[in-house]
Amino acid sequence: MANTKMEDIIICREVHKWFGSFHALRGVSTRVKQGEVVVILGPSGSGKSTFIRTINRLEQHQRGDIIVNGVELSGDVRNIDAVRREVGMVFQSFNLFPHLTVMQNITLAPTKVRKWTRDQAEAVAMELLTRVGIPEQAGKFPAELSGGQQQRVAIARALAMQPRIMLFDEPTSALDPEMIREVLDVMRELAGSGMTMLAVSHEIGFAREVADRVIMFDEGVIIEEATPDNFFNNPQHERAQLFLSQILS
Amino acid sequence: MAAQSAPAAEPLPPPRSEVGVIGWLHANLFNTWYNGVLTVISLAALFLALGFALKWAFMSADWIVVVKLGGRFIIGPYNTEVACPGQNCFWRPQVSLLMVIFLTGMAWGLSGNRTARNIALLFAGVASAFAFLPYSLEAMGWDVRLLLLANLPAVAAGWAVSRYTPLGNGVRIALLGGLVFLLILALLRGLPGTPWLPSVSVIYWGGLMLNLILAVSGITLSLPIGIALALGRRSELPVVKALCVAFIEVFRGVPLITLLFMSQVLVPLAFPEDFPQNSLFRAGVVITLFSSAYMAENVRGGLQSLHFGQAEAARALGLAGWQTTLLISLPQALRNVIPAIVGQFIGLFKDTSLVYIIGMLDMVAIGRTFIQGNPEFLVNARETFVFLALVFWIFTYGMSYISGKVEEHLGVGQR
Repeated sequence: MANTKMEDIIICREVHKWFGSFHALRGVSTRVKQGEVVVILGPSGSGKSTFIRTINRLEQHQRGDIIVNGVELSGDVRNIDAVRREVGMVFQSFNLFPHLTVMQNITLAPTKVRKWTRDQAEAVAMELLTRVGIPEQAGKFPAELSGGQQQRVAIARALAMQPRIMLFDEPTSALDPEMIREVLDVMRELAGSGMTMLAVSHEIGFAREVADRVIMFDEGVIIEEATPDNFFNNPQHERAQLFLSQILS
Repeated sequence: MAAQSAPAAEPLPPPRSEVGVIGWLHANLFNTWYNGVLTVISLAALFLALGFALKWAFMSADWIVVVKLGGRFIIGPYNTEVACPGQNCFWRPQVSLLMVIFLTGMAWGLSGNRTARNIALLFAGVASAFAFLPYSLEAMGWDVRLLLLANLPAVAAGWAVSRYTPLGNGVRIALLGGLVFLLILALLRGLPGTPWLPSVSVIYWGGLMLNLILAVSGITLSLPIGIALALGRRSELPVVKALCVAFIEVFRGVPLITLLFMSQVLVPLAFPEDFPQNSLFRAGVVITLFSSAYMAENVRGGLQSLHFGQAEAARALGLAGWQTTLLISLPQALRNVIPAIVGQFIGLFKDTSLVYIIGMLDMVAIGRTFIQGNPEFLVNARETFVFLALVFWIFTYGMSYISGKVEEHLGVGQR
């Protein structure tokens, strides 16, 4: 938003991905600048989740190039690890580790991957828990928290690695309506802090207010890429118009 | 606003039929006429069976056979003239027991919880109570009794050592446990050629001691081997995977008895004739490998019960594959299959009795041969086997109880 750096932190060129014989991504090309907030929309099965999962290599693309933070994602394990250290991810189903406390969930990666001391990791974790509004839950286990609280812990866990990019894969889809807001508030605050964010989300209000750009997927390709204003008020593509009429009604 | 809105509904106490003894009886035993009839019939059957059992146990049964079995039941023919000629070797198993009790005390000191304390004190208490068995002093001398009594200070010493010295940490106690186990084996085996510690061939090791040696080594080794096999079976390397699958399917597909026979008959063929042979070692290896194959499948079941998102989240955080397995997948997988794992442990403990078919005198074999060798006790076979069953049950129930406590502690099913 207020970011002045105009460096491309994610570059995707003609990315293709097949699941067996199913062609899930059919030549996706886009660039994301540092500090940019991109919201990705599209009907289910359109490839939007698959796309953001290729960015930290949870899915492997089979053709094309993906360059994240200057590192090209290829078969090289060191490159994959380097990218994953700089890319945080938040999942639809939270995926907190149920056998660890909230504090342990957050400090695990910093101590094991970044090799911070426990004290250092815990101090950062408390800061992050305060930032997402639940410092008092540090000692609890995930199952003792509400869905909204769990998702906020998941965000704190991803942020603890101090990533340069955050990926959100439908972060509010599994939440009860009254909990969506608390998660979106955290995401809004995060966007305001200058974090580069890619979010698969159908939260139109969030997209309108926070996104710099909206990307619409359909059948494995990007069919429309525009500012939120242009996209929501004046969609060009027929499929985009149809999709918007369905989710806005 | 408050005055206009309807008053909030007061919480009411539950209806009488839902609370108290009467409520419970009604809800669980007499809620329909046929349940009532079933309850009455079951109670009658229970009273009859219990009455019969108690009458037999206290009126007609003659438990003297158990007393006559005595120490043989615990250590087999270990301290007989043929096993340990010209010497009294009773102290070696007894010192071994002391070391085990010391370790139990350490475990209690480490965990500091009530379950551990109860178990440690129960073990030490029962062991030292044996010192007061009403045998004559010739049958059970002061030295034997004193070494048994020493179990009480041993448990206290173990507790104190883990409380007040740097040895009191989980990894160190586990390592010490392994060391003590090897030390016990060495102590029981002895040093060939020394007058003060003559070697005692493993064919004379027997009784409960033999069951426990095989069970402890089998349990502690089959879990890690099983985990390794389970991970290997899920490996993406085709050779590793094929080897693990082959191992699991072979050892799971053959009866333990057959494997035990094969270990005694076939394995020696593979070695030169003068190669030192050890039937106990072979039996231990077979039982361990057999159990590992089952353990591998239990663990694999646990790994498969995990949501794929768990490993994905760990990888997305930058954890390496082995870190994900070690820190995320395995702890959850093992926690999910504790009942299956403990079931396997219990099965293994009971299976140690099968070594009688290769001529080893485990506690069941001791009981059986004692009756056969002393015809005056033939009529007391029932008492002997009831007693043996009780001993097995105490150990297996103990494992079951501990696993329940572990599950509680780990919050299985809660989180």
